[in-house]
Amino acid sequence: MTTPELTVNISEPALAPRRSARLGSYALWQVRDYALNRGAPTLIVALLFGYLGVSAMLAMVNSPAGPPANLVHHYGSIDAARIAMLHNSSMGFVATFIGTFAFLGALIGMNGVVSNDRKLGFYRFLFAKPVAPSAYYGAEFAVNGICFLVLAAMLAVLYGAIVEPVLTLPLLIAIAAGYLCYAGLGFALSAISRWDWLSLVAVVGAADLLWKLYGNSTNPLAVLLRLLPPLHRTEEVYAAAAHAVALPWQSVLWLAGYGAVAFVVGLAILRHRRLAFN
Amino acid sequence: MFGLAGPNGAGKSTLIALLLGFLGPTAGTVRIHGLAPRRFVEHHGVGYLSELVNIPPTWRVHQALRRYALLAGVPAGQLHSRVARSIAMLGLEEHRTKRVRQLSKGNLQRLGLAQALLHDESVIVLDEPTHGLDPVWTQRFRDIVQELRRPERIILIASHNLDELARLADRVAILDHGRLQRIVDMRGADPSTRKRAAYRLAVARGAREVLAVFPDARLIARDEYELADRTLEEVNAGVAELLRRGTLLTALHPAHSALETQFREAVAGSAMAQEAS
Repeated sequence: MTTPELTVNISEPALAPRRSARLGSYALWQVRDYALNRGAPTLIVALLFGYLGVSAMLAMVNSPAGPPANLVHHYGSIDAARIAMLHNSSMGFVATFIGTFAFLGALIGMNGVVSNDRKLGFYRFLFAKPVAPSAYYGAEFAVNGICFLVLAAMLAVLYGAIVEPVLTLPLLIAIAAGYLCYAGLGFALSAISRWDWLSLVAVVGAADLLWKLYGNSTNPLAVLLRLLPPLHRTEEVYAAAAHAVALPWQSVLWLAGYGAVAFVVGLAILRHRRLAFN
Repeated sequence: MFGLAGPNGAGKSTLIALLLGFLGPTAGTVRIHGLAPRRFVEHHGVGYLSELVNIPPTWRVHQALRRYALLAGVPAGQLHSRVARSIAMLGLEEHRTKRVRQLSKGNLQRLGLAQALLHDESVIVLDEPTHGLDPVWTQRFRDIVQELRRPERIILIASHNLDELARLADRVAILDHGRLQRIVDMRGADPSTRKRAAYRLAVARGAREVLAVFPDARLIARDEYELADRTLEEVNAGVAELLRRGTLLTALHPAHSALETQFREAVAGSAMAQEAS
C-alpha cells in the first residue's frame, strides 16, 4: 500500500516573504479583552469578598462595647487598642484574601484561555495568520498575568485607603507566586482539555487534600505529590506577606517554579497538538 | 485556481484542515512549498475562509478586521487602509460598527471573506465561500475571486456548488469517501461532438413540433423539454429541423454541466468501489 502524499507547490518568486504577526500591538487588544472579560468579574468577586471581610472587621473594631479591657490596659488607650485590633484582624484577613484572590484570579483569568478558541472554532481565522499558537497564547498568558497584578495593586491601594496600607513589594510577589502556580496549571489544563476550569478546581482541591493527608508521609509513593501544585506552601507565603516579614523564598520559588513548569508544558502541548478537535 | 468538489462528508473540509495544519495526517505527509503545513502558515500566512465563520460575537466588525490585520502582519502604516479596503470591497460599510452577533448570515460570510483578503497572500483557501450569500453577493464574490486571480497565486475553493466551481476553477478535484476520485481540467472542456449527453430545450412557440422532431423528449416544465442521450450533432440537426418548422427557441443547454457529469460518474464509481471492498 502506498503512503498518501499531499504536496502543494508554490513557485519560488511568488512566495510572499516570511513575515510574522504583530503580537506586540495585538497585546493592547488582549489587555482590552482581559479588562472586559476577566478583569471585571475578578474585580467584582474580589470587591464582594473584600466588602464582607472588611465590613465585619470594622464592625468588630468599632463595636460600642469597645476593645477588651486587657487590650486597653496593654496599649494604654482605647484608640491605641482599636488600632492594634484592626491591625491584627487586617493581617489575618489579608493572608486569607491573598489566597482566595490568587486562586480566583487564575481561575477566571485562565478559564477557556485556549480551550474556548478550540471549542468555538475561533482558532481557524486566528491561526491561518502567520502566528504560532504557542506565541499567541504565551502572550495572552503574560498579558493576563500583568493585568492581574495591576488589579491586585489597585485593590491593595483601595484597602490601604479604607483599612491600613498593605501595598508592598513582598505582597505583590506573594500574590504573583500564588497566581503563577494556579495560572500555569490552568493554562496547561486549558491546552489539554475542554473542561479546563473544572479540571483546575479538581486538581487544586485534590492537591490541597492530599498534601494535608500525606504531606509528611514517609511512604515512597508520597513523592508523587510533587506532581501536584505545592499548595501546602501557600499559607506561609501569604502569612509572611500579610505580616510584612521576610518571605520564605524557597516556598515562593516552589510555587512560581511549579506554575512556570506547567506553563511551559502548556506551550509544548500547543506546539505539538493539533488545534482541531476532530 | 483549484476547486475541491465532493458530496457531504467526502473529506473536503478535512483536507483543508490538513493543509492548514489544524489536523495531522494519520498516514503520509502534507507539504506546502516543502514545509510542514503549520510551519508554512506560521511563516507566510494563508488567506482562509472557513465553512463555518467563527468570530467572537462581541467583536465589532472594524475591530475584528483590525485584530486580524495585526495578526496577518499588516504593517502599521497600511493597517487603516487595508481594513478600509476590505470593508469597502465586501460592502460592509454600514455594518462596520456592529457586533459580530448582530450580523446576518450573509454579512457574517462577507466579514469572513474580508478577513481572508486583508493581506496579499500567496495561498488563499475558501471553504464554501458563497454559503449564505444572496445572488447579488454570490456574483460579487465571483468577481472578487476573478480579480484575485494571478499566475503566481494559488486559490483553493471547496464547494458543493458545481456551477460555481465550473465558472471559477481551472481544475477541480472530486473527492469522495476521503479519497481523490479524479481531477477535471476545466480549461480544456470536452469538445467531443460524439459524446452522448442529456440536453434541455425551451421554446416560446411550436411546442408540438418538439415532440414531432424528438419523440422521446420529456416535458419537465412549461414549454421545457429534456432530450436524453444525444450527441451534439444529433441535437443540432434536430434544432435545425425545429427552426425550419417555425419553432421559436428560448434556450438550449446541457442538462448537466461537464463537471456535474464527471462528478456523478466519480461519485457513482466511488460508491461501487466502497461496496466492493
